[in-house]
Formats: sequence, C-alpha cells, structure tokens
Amino acid sequence: MFNFPPPAPYDPIRLEVFKHRFAAIAEEMGAVLRKASYSPNIKERRDYSCALFDAQGRMIAQAAHIPVHLGSMPLSVGAAIETFRVFGDPKGLQAGDVIALNDPFRGGTHLPDITLVTPVFIPPHPNPSPKERGTQLFGFVASRAHHADVGGITPGSMPVAREIYQEGLIIPPIKLVSAGETNQAAMDLLLANVRTPEERLGDLKAQIGANQRGMLRLREMVSEHGQAEVNRYMAAMLEYTERMTRRLLKNLPDGEYTFSDYLDDDGIHDQPVLIKVKVKIEGDRAVVDFTGSAPQQKGSVNAVYAITLSAVYYVFRCLIGLDAPNNAGCLTPIEVIAPEGTVVNARHPAAVAGGNVETSQRIVDVLLGALAAVAPERVPAASQGTMNNITIGGIDQREEKPRPFAYYETIGGGMGALPNSDGSSAIHSHMTNTLNTPAEALEYAYPLRVLRYEIRRGSGGEGKYRGGDGIRRDVQVLGEAQVTLLTERRVKPPYGLNGGQPGNTGENILIRGEEEIPLPGKGAIELQAGDILSIRTPGGGGYGAK
Amino acid sequence: MLKNPQSTPDTQLRIGIDIGGTFTDFVIFDPSSGGIETFKLPSTPHDPAEAVLSGLERIGERLSIDSRQSSVDSGQWTVSSERWHIIHGSTVATNALLERKGARTALITTRGFKDVLQIRRQNRPALYDFAASPTPPLIPADLRLEVDERVDYRGEALIPLREEQLDQVFAQLEGPQTADNRPPSAVRGQPSAVESVAVCLLFSFANSAHEQRIAEKLRAAGFFVSASHEILPEYREYERASTTAVNAYVSPVLESYLTKLEKSLTAYSQYPISNIKLPTSKLQIMQSNGGSISVGEAKNSAARCILSGPAGGVVGCQYLGELLESNLQSPTSNLQFLTFDMGGTSTDVSLIAGEPRITTEAEVGGHPIAIPLLDIHTIGAGGGSIAYLDAGGALRVGPQSAGAEPGPACYGKTGDRGREMGGLVLLSSAPRLLATVTDANLLLGRIPPDDFLGGAMPLYPELAEEALRCVGEELGLSPIETALGVIEIANAHMERALRVISVERGHDPRDFTLLSFGGAGGLHAADLAQRLHIPTVLISPYAATLSAFGMLAADVVKDYTQTVMLPGHCSTEEISNRFAPLLQKGWGNLLEEGIGEENIVLQRTLDMRYRGQSYELNIPFGEDFIAAFHRTHRQTYGYDRAGGEIEIVNLRVRAIGQVPSPKIAQRTMGSADASGALIACRPVTFTDGVHDIPFYRGELLQPGDQIPGPAIVVRDDTTILINVGDAASVDPYLNLVLDIGS
Repeated sequence: MFNFPPPAPYDPIRLEVFKHRFAAIAEEMGAVLRKASYSPNIKERRDYSCALFDAQGRMIAQAAHIPVHLGSMPLSVGAAIETFRVFGDPKGLQAGDVIALNDPFRGGTHLPDITLVTPVFIPPHPNPSPKERGTQLFGFVASRAHHADVGGITPGSMPVAREIYQEGLIIPPIKLVSAGETNQAAMDLLLANVRTPEERLGDLKAQIGANQRGMLRLREMVSEHGQAEVNRYMAAMLEYTERMTRRLLKNLPDGEYTFSDYLDDDGIHDQPVLIKVKVKIEGDRAVVDFTGSAPQQKGSVNAVYAITLSAVYYVFRCLIGLDAPNNAGCLTPIEVIAPEGTVVNARHPAAVAGGNVETSQRIVDVLLGALAAVAPERVPAASQGTMNNITIGGIDQREEKPRPFAYYETIGGGMGALPNSDGSSAIHSHMTNTLNTPAEALEYAYPLRVLRYEIRRGSGGEGKYRGGDGIRRDVQVLGEAQVTLLTERRVKPPYGLNGGQPGNTGENILIRGEEEIPLPGKGAIELQAGDILSIRTPGGGGYGAK
Repeated sequence: MLKNPQSTPDTQLRIGIDIGGTFTDFVIFDPSSGGIETFKLPSTPHDPAEAVLSGLERIGERLSIDSRQSSVDSGQWTVSSERWHIIHGSTVATNALLERKGARTALITTRGFKDVLQIRRQNRPALYDFAASPTPPLIPADLRLEVDERVDYRGEALIPLREEQLDQVFAQLEGPQTADNRPPSAVRGQPSAVESVAVCLLFSFANSAHEQRIAEKLRAAGFFVSASHEILPEYREYERASTTAVNAYVSPVLESYLTKLEKSLTAYSQYPISNIKLPTSKLQIMQSNGGSISVGEAKNSAARCILSGPAGGVVGCQYLGELLESNLQSPTSNLQFLTFDMGGTSTDVSLIAGEPRITTEAEVGGHPIAIPLLDIHTIGAGGGSIAYLDAGGALRVGPQSAGAEPGPACYGKTGDRGREMGGLVLLSSAPRLLATVTDANLLLGRIPPDDFLGGAMPLYPELAEEALRCVGEELGLSPIETALGVIEIANAHMERALRVISVERGHDPRDFTLLSFGGAGGLHAADLAQRLHIPTVLISPYAATLSAFGMLAADVVKDYTQTVMLPGHCSTEEISNRFAPLLQKGWGNLLEEGIGEENIVLQRTLDMRYRGQSYELNIPFGEDFIAAFHRTHRQTYGYDRAGGEIEIVNLRVRAIGQVPSPKIAQRTMGSADASGALIACRPVTFTDGVHDIPFYRGELLQPGDQIPGPAIVVRDDTTILINVGDAASVDPYLNLVLDIGS
C-alpha cells in the first residue's frame, strides 16, 4: 500500500521505541535494587547502577545513576565472560548463574563496588523441549552497588593503603549463584571478611533480585519480538549513540589540545601527582592520550583503566548534550590511550580505593581543561574536583549489645562557573551524584551527631560568573571512632577559566574542645568521644575576568 | 465495596467544582433523583473565583426554572434547594508554587542547618548536563534564620531554647521598620515584609516542645505559621523542611482565595443576583490524598491541596470502578484499574489495586512534598507533544509541547500570513509549523477535522501533512509513515509510564482495566492496552469532567503520622498506646468537620523495615503485623528475612469521614444495534493500510449497543479509536467498554 523505502537495517521509529524499552528495563532494575537493599549507602545515597548488555558484553542501556560506573560496567561483564567463557559446560556460564566480582584488575573499579552479572539465556525456539529450555546465551544484565564495608584495614574499606590487599576482600569473578543455587561457601567466606555481614547479605540479595527482574524483562522482550529483532535493535542502539558522538566530533575544530593538573598527593608521599592529557580531534574521531601522566603511586589514588574510560565517556556524553542512550557506542569513535603502570592505568597490586572516587574527578578536570579551547561556549571551569570521602567506624555502644558500625559519606561542593552563569553551590559534580545521609537518619543509625551542615559562603572562585560554594559539614563522634579521609583539592585549588579565579581549597579540621587541629587530605585518625570532624569542601572555579 | 454510610437520606444538592488551566468543570449530583449533570466554563485565571461564581449562578438559575416548570428536557432536580454541598478543587495552590507567587516566607531552624533547604540532598538534577542546577529554594538565604537549640533522636533536649534569643530572631522577620514602627502584621503587603514563617527544627517529631513554643510566639505576633511537627512529624530533615516551607509559602495564597470565595458565597445567599438567590453552601476542599477537608483546615495546610485536580480524577476512577464491581456481583472481584489521563501537554497515570496507591515521595515543581498523596506519575507526552529528528537520526516525540499557542500545526495558528495564503508553498518556508501527536492523528483520519471539540474548532489537515512532511523528509518517510511513527513513539512513552506504575511496583497489567479519561487518551488507549496485554479499556461518559466528578465521591480524609522508631518485638499494647493520641486527634477533627460518629473509620498502619534498611513498607496494624510485613516484603522485593530484626519507623492513622457516594442510575440495556449513532464511514490509516471505517456519535450511543472494530466514536470531549479485532459495547452506565482482542 505504501512505498516503503528498501528494507533498512532498522527503522528510526522502532529505534526510538526500543530505546524506551531497553532503558525501562535498566530503570526497573534500579528501582528494585533501591527498594530492596539494606544499607543507607544504596538506599539513601543511591550509589549503584544497573545496565543491560548484548551477548558480546557490549553495554546497550544503563539507568542514569552514577557516571563513574558508566564506562566500567562493560569491563565487568567482559571479565565474567573471560572467566566462564565455555557456555553450556557446567563450569561455564549457565542459566541461573550470578557472577560476583570486585577485583579492580579483573573487571572491577575499587573493592567496595561489587558487581553482579547475570547471563540471560533463552530457549533456542518458541517450543523448546525441557532439555533445551534456556540454553542459548542472549545477553547479560548487571548491577553494581557501593557496599559500605568489604573488610580491609579500616571500616568502610576506603583506606589510605599501599597495596590492594589492605583495602579489603578481593573477589575475582566467581559464581555466587550457580544454576540457581547460592554458592554458600563463597557467600560465607565473603560475609566472614566484612564488618557488617547482615547488611552485606541484604544488599547482595537485593542486587540478585534486581538482576532477576532485568533477566525476566529481557526474556519477555525476546519472546514478544523475537531474538533477531531484539538483537538488531541492540546493535542499532550502539550505532545510534556512535552517530551522535561522531556528529559532535565533526562539529568540533580539528587539532591537538593539551592540559594538565595535579592530585594533591597520594596520601603517603607529600608530592603532587601529575595527570596530563592530549586530545586530538580529527574529523569525526578523537584520540585521548594520557601519556606523560605520573607513574602509579604507593598510595590509593591509582585508577584502573576502567575508571579512566568512564571519565572520558562522561565528558563526551555531556558534550553530546542530548539525552542520548547510555551505551558503548559513545566511545566507539574515541581511542583512549592510558599507558600501563601509570596513575591512570595501574597494575596489580596497586591500591586503588581513591582512583575511583578522586582520580576520576581529576581526569575529568584535565579533559575539560583541554576541551575548553575546543568548545568554549559549553565547558565550565573546574568543579570541586573531589568527592570528599569520609568513613567513620567503631563500635556502637548505645544499646545493650554493642555493634560494629561503618558510616561512609561523600560531600558535595562547588560546581565550576559556566560561560554564561554562576556555578551551583553545595552539590555533587561530575563523576558522582550520590545523595547525602540525612542528619536524622544518621543519628538513629550511628553514634554520631551532625552539628553543622551549611554552605561554605565565599568559597567559590570570583569571576564574571562565580564558582559555586562548597559545604561545611561538622560531625561529632559520641564514642571512640576511627576516621578515614580520602579527599582532594586541599592543596591545589579548582581552576578558573578565561580569567576567572580558582575556587577555595577544601579543609579538614579536627575540633577537640577549643582546639582546631588541621588534618591532612588523606589519612586515618583516631577520634575520642566528643571530637568534631569538620569538613569544608572546595568551591568551584570562576569564569571570566570580573 | 461501595461505601454505605448510615445517615439520614441526603437531600443536599452536591456540586463538584474543579478549576483547571483552561476550563472550570462543574458536576452536579441530585441525591434524591440520582441525576447527574456536568458543564464546563472557561477558567478565569486573573480571578479563579469568577468562573466558580458564574457556574453557581447558572445552577441557581436552573433551579429556579425547575421550581416554576413541571418538567425540563433532561430531568428535574427535586432536592431541597435550602443548602448546597460544594466540594472544590483548584490550581490556586499549585500555581502559587509553580509560578513562585506565594507569600514572602521565612524559615526558623536549628543552628547549623539553615542551608538544608538549599543543599537539598546534594545531588544534581541531571547527570550529563553541566548547566543543570536545582530549583532555587522557596526561602532565600537571608530569610533562613537559626536559633540555638538541639533535640536528639530520643527526643531529649540537649540545648534548651532561650526566650531572649527568640526575640532577637523575630526582630529580623520584620524587615525594614516603617516610620511609625508598626508591628509586622501591620506592614504586610509590603514586598519586604515577611508574611509567613516555616518552623522546622531537627528531631522535632521526637520532641516538639521547641517548635511549639516558637510557633506560638509567631502566631501571637500575627504571622502565618507552618510548623513541621504539625504538617509532617517524620524523620528526614530535608523532606520535612521542604514540605513545611511549601505549606508556609502557598497557604496564605489559598487562604486569601478561599476567604474571598466564602464571602462571595455568603453575599450570593443573602442578596439575589438577577433574581436568583443562591442557597447557603457548605464548602469542602479537595486534597491531593484523595479526600476532602474543611475550608478552615485547607487554609492552614494548603500543601495538602497542591494536586487536588489529578487526585479528583483518580478518586473518580475509583468510584466508577466500584460502581462496576458492585454490578458484577462477583464475590472474588477485586478492583484493579490503571488510570490514564492524556491531555495536551502531559499524561497522568496511576494505579488502583483495591484502593489508589499513596506515595510520600512526591515532588512538585522540584520541591519534595512528603505528606501522603495519591501516587500519580506524570510524563511530558500529550496531544501537543512535538515530533522532531535528533542528532542520531531517531524520530523523537516530546517532551516539548506546542501548548495552546501556537498549538499543533493543524490549529492553523502559524500567523495570519500562513492562513491567508492557505497554501503549502508558503508554509513550507514557515519553520515554526510544529508537527505534533494531534497532527499525526488528524492526518491518519482519526480525528474528523470538522468535528473537533464538537465542531467548535476547525482543524487544517493540509497543515498537519506539511508539518509531518518536514519531519519525515530527512528519514525518507512519507507524511503518513511519519504520522504512524509519531503515534508509535508517543505510545512507547505512555507505555513506559504505565509500566513504571505497574510492573516496576510488582503489578501485572494483565490483571487490570485501563480507565481512560482526558481529551487525548481515547485515540491511544486501545493501542496501549494491546501492548501491555490489558484485556479491557473503559471510557466513562464523564471522562471530560472526571476530576470534578471524583470530588463529589470523595470522603473526608485526614492523614496523621508520627515517627517512633520502635523495635519490631514491642508489644501490640505498647503500639496501641502510641497510636492513641493520633486516633484521638483523627476522631476529634472529623467530629469538628461535622461527620457523624457512625461514619468515621480510623485506619492504623505501620511503616516497617528490617533493621538497617532505610525504606519502609506500609503494613496494616493488626495482631499479625509482623507476619504481614515479611509477606509483603517477599511480595514486593522477592525475598524476606524471617527472624530478622524489624523496626517500626512510623505510625500512620488515616481518618476517614464517609460521605454518601453519588448513585448513578442504571439505564436499561437495549438492542446491540448501534446504527442509530452512525455518522459516516471515512478512510482511516492503520499500520496495514487505509480502511473505510464507521464513525459513531458518542452522545447518541445507547446501553447495549455493540460496535465491532475498526471504528471511531466521536464525542464533543474526546475521540475513541476501536482497533481491528477489538470490540466495544455500551454498559448500563453509558461507559464505553473496549474488549481488547489478543
């Protein structure tokens, strides 16, 4: 009846329809995980991500939760495939398996992020015999959550360590659930090595539940549209995002742009750590080269490749500017060079807890610094450039039965000013977007008291447009406790652009009685009952001369 | 179950009035005859009461005619005209919030926490947008004031409140002093003077003494006060502060509107206007929780009335559902509805499983409102959603909307030049011709161009075609193919919204009936039902005024809550004791509202969780509440932890004052022959090609009529598409029931 064009690989209408369907699956997984999980870290702070993959492990859709998980989730699935590649074999991937991992050198990022990967098998044809049921690998679903404690030398597992063995329990890709049966030995071993086993168990169960929901929905989609069709649109999603990236790159002026900045220190030596980038744009392709960045460090600021990839992904994803689907296609036209053995691609057994949360922010800073010359109308001055990771642990003595506790929090700061507006104050920027723990929730849950939670006025950089202000958060410990600080921009401030002033550096202060004792940006400190930990986060850089 | 409150036969004429953006809707119910009438008047945004009063005049006029004549064409009102009962919902509070035209408001809070309102939960609204910044707080920094005081989680006062400091803080509320140094209450209306104060202290839900003292002093000084322990005594300081601030900000605006309306109503009942004297009226205000409250209460807690219109719609659906269920007389039947309200710019969906779902996580205009509201999910897709091609080459629809101006391309509002020439040549060079969902429906023949809104508004199919041609060209698609695509994508948006409220929350759409109302929904409901495997779609004859209709059916509902943080093993006696003050409050307040004791129902529920979790499940309080919690947890999240430690976080009491429901008369079922309503056969495009299909006039359909698909039913307020393989029938209540083929 109509003159339809010759059969294209896909049509633009179904593409949009499938985009919604894939995204809805990832979103639904996220809803299940958030609702069913235990720890405030997942529920209140929403430090998790869920995503959907094709059979090759390419990410098709991710619910927009935490940017630092973006580029790195596919590597987790890749590691699961790598480890259990023999499909059908009982030792290989099977229906009903759930692979758990957190090893940064085998698909993870840092140890608290535990990723669960579930292969999705489907029957080979509509009427399978009982034997054939669920025999063909169709894709994967995965969920990643930041667990508040995975063992190691300090509560909260974000220590300033020297090697990964001190940071907590390392989980290489293992079957936590095998053909539907929980691997109790693995689970027991895992729970025996963490400070809050009940919470871990609850959170892991919630992750398994989220994956099950994702698997169910993907199977439903296949039974409705057929395998070939879903496959076709999975591939189409990747090409679609790739086209968007290519269009962005094509519109940027060709050339080489370099920028460098420093981490304050690695927490062990008092030396700045260089991160350097050269972005080369050529037509609809780009090369992002970190050659020249500092070698990997003794302390925990080392980023594994997955982190660097995530940061690159994040920056280009923002520049695309539209609500493009979050998938692997974004990075296809971009080559990322990060020499092994450097702080942006650390080798085993480097300590990496801070690479995920701190170094990732600095990688974004240098990328944006380089791209400011390319897209001056869109790129903001430096934001606070840290997540201000604070972990407080100890024994809660408030009830008859003392309980160990581990409280982990990140604190927002100033956003960099934009070419046409002030930066937002007191907010998380770039690679994280976790919520705070309400003071009232915190005080029920832990022997802590929040004394101040306010905007640190005047901390944003001056300029034609002002950088956003940081936060001051003062927390009093009601008993003895151990604090771990993993914070940045305490020495080198967030830069301004085009004549804008830098934002203020952050400060960590211990208030003991009348005394104010400055604390380092990174380190572990023993606190006495009544001590107040006062964290003042950096402001964003200003834009333009005033 | 239909409510059947014991009361003396109600003879008051009941009037539901819903002020919307475009129209003010009236539904009048005569309890003695069961007659229902509806009409719409254009809204009067400069003074919303104007439309309300014109409508009431019209009803008064009609009554006085009835009392003189023995019969009128559409039935007669036999009620006593002594007293009217008006249930009213409006967008007054909503608009004050969204347009930020509320009262000048200050905040008083605990030292160290004045920025909680601005820091929010410290997350940014969009992940991949450098420029996305959160909604600025309703109360600016210089009006957020701190006092030295502190209460801990057990309710123990660690730092006492100091009276002399309060006086200093209050002095800052007065703004610049006037020459004669008048008290603050006297300088109101000046832009710099604070009118309203939100008081939100840390842990005030555990011990409200400090808040009470501050509120008392402020009230004595003449300020409007919203205290957090009154509006939301629950933990989580940001959400509580936000709710309290919203209430302080919008209440004075709603108060002044309602005071004015009350005065006018009194005046109308005392002095006849154009020979019509209106009776005295009892006025009730619709809330977002699906119940109504007295005017006095509404003036103090406008935050409870923010989404009254959509809530009325859901209650209307609930009522229609109950009516149908009661008719089925099946003991196992169980009310399961997905409500679908598709308008011009947005679509509201909600789920009714026995009762409408309630949420405490609502956000309006970027401000969390944590009091219980009907859980209505809104997306930016409607008839006016704009279709365009994005950078990746995908066809997109919305969320931008063409609105009423310029509206869809087919409205012909592209400027006089375009219309004068009437031709496509000129218009193709007019870039602002916006292709929308409505244009797609028109081009596919699904909306009769000469019969839109009862023929009140001519549509221009050639403009729709041109607009769609522009969008489709780059894709190599014809305008018709583009139109089919636009519909499919719009449906994908709405399908996702329906999935969010059903499957994401553990419900299977196959167990539900889709109840469609709103002007744009009728053309999409059947497609959506098919995609989601929903077996039945129901379209009410009152679809266009369902919100006002729901207000008539709404009970008086008051919600009370208290954070308690009790261990799960504490005795039912102890829990009962903690409930007692809430129950007393609920009971007392309903009596004050004039509800008879026999019509009061008090429901007790617990917000529970496993220790360590930080979200709660709401469980009815009874002997076996622990078992019920485990069971519900398993149902909702797929697992439980029998034997795990449990916490009781909040106590909730819902106090319901049952109001007799309107009883709609059933019509006798006639023959299956719908030909009496047939208007014409016209070509309509479907995915498989063009079919000549019958068009029926909805207003002429009779109970018992059967219409096999494909067909289109045209009504003044909406157009309904019946697909091939589906079948429609008219039930005794004049509902159009679509049976969706597999």
